[in-house]
Amino acid sequence: MQDPISIDIKNRRIATSPELADACFTCGTCASGCPATNLVPGWDPRKAIRAIALGLEQEVIDSKWPWVCTLCGRCQYACPMGVQLIKTFRTCRILRERDLVPDPLHRGTMMNFERGNNLGIPTDDFLFLLADLGVEMEEDEKQPCPGFYVPVDKEGANIIVTVNSKEPFAEPDDMKFWWRIFYAAKEDWTISSTNWEGVNWGLFSGDDENWKIQVGRVLENARRLKVKTILYPE
Amino acid sequence: MWFPEAFEEFKVLSIFELLREYIKTGRIKLDKSKHPQLTTVHDPCNYGRKSQISFGDHHCDNSRWIVSQCCENMVEMIDGPLNNHCCGAGGGAWAMPYTEERMAYGKHKADQIKKTGAELVIAPCHNCRDQIMKGLVEEFDMGNYKETMYTWELVAESLAYEPWSEEEIKKAHAERDAQFERDGVELEEW
Repeated sequence: MQDPISIDIKNRRIATSPELADACFTCGTCASGCPATNLVPGWDPRKAIRAIALGLEQEVIDSKWPWVCTLCGRCQYACPMGVQLIKTFRTCRILRERDLVPDPLHRGTMMNFERGNNLGIPTDDFLFLLADLGVEMEEDEKQPCPGFYVPVDKEGANIIVTVNSKEPFAEPDDMKFWWRIFYAAKEDWTISSTNWEGVNWGLFSGDDENWKIQVGRVLENARRLKVKTILYPE
Repeated sequence: MWFPEAFEEFKVLSIFELLREYIKTGRIKLDKSKHPQLTTVHDPCNYGRKSQISFGDHHCDNSRWIVSQCCENMVEMIDGPLNNHCCGAGGGAWAMPYTEERMAYGKHKADQIKKTGAELVIAPCHNCRDQIMKGLVEEFDMGNYKETMYTWELVAESLAYEPWSEEEIKKAHAERDAQFERDGVELEEW
């Protein structure tokens, strides 16, 4: 028989507080309403919370559970005891060794850190693409926008926007939706030539340092270009 | 909060607030007749439930109001905005390798969409849109479903606008040319 586990309260890796696992009544409201219940065999939100409360933190951290759970918060919204399930499960993601984070979340986070966007698109390629798409917009047959171009690094613009790197990478025409709206509204807007990424994978990969760096970059760009308004990333 | 000073320095807007302002103030005009089909709105967890939990407010009402300015016929999914089901691709799941789990998760969303009878689903989130448009549609029967659009795509497709004046175009071209020269951008055949 396995030896009983003794819980070392001082050295818990996921802190216990009344808002975290320890307040759980084990009612199962979370597990009943969770679309991910049992998608990882043997796991659901209640079991994961109970495991953490009972000292089996490492089992949860090592399991697929905190990653198949989408952190949607339906459990927490319904929990009668106010247990912070989202924060608890995201903490499990933080505690996963970085080289064991499911691909490509950590890779993309580091790519963003090093090159300013999750997919490593070089500035020259980005600027050329924006210029090219601008010409297409002017000449568009269905909705022509004569006079349109993408204002890059425009000092003193009203609004600065970020870009989801999947769009310049794979779906460039999708950027035109916002651009047509800005054209119609005659908005004074701009995009930064560097660090323009709007997706923050540090949030998902459990990397608070890079999460913060990415938010800081949006602010740095806004300050450098002296804009008035930040349209926060979708 | 990491950068509380940012809220003093800048106006910080969500896409919903910006679109609502454009429509309310008449800066953009929309033509509802372009989208007569039955339409439903998906609420991304981050804009709905998680905003409510974190900030005590959510964007679901603005999200619906914007769509209502573009569409004649709207229908709600069961469970309402705050108990809405995640599309299955949230939290980075669209990018992660657990495809089987992501699809099994998304079955709940596909069922919700099917029950509305809607042809058009509006998703104000890149992940949700990709999951519904490229994921769920491949695996599940979603009834009358035909297409998914971003909220801003719907707005862009509904726009009724006049091209700029000659003077505005001239000014924009001069600014553009100066920018291209500064950045060393040269376009072929142009």
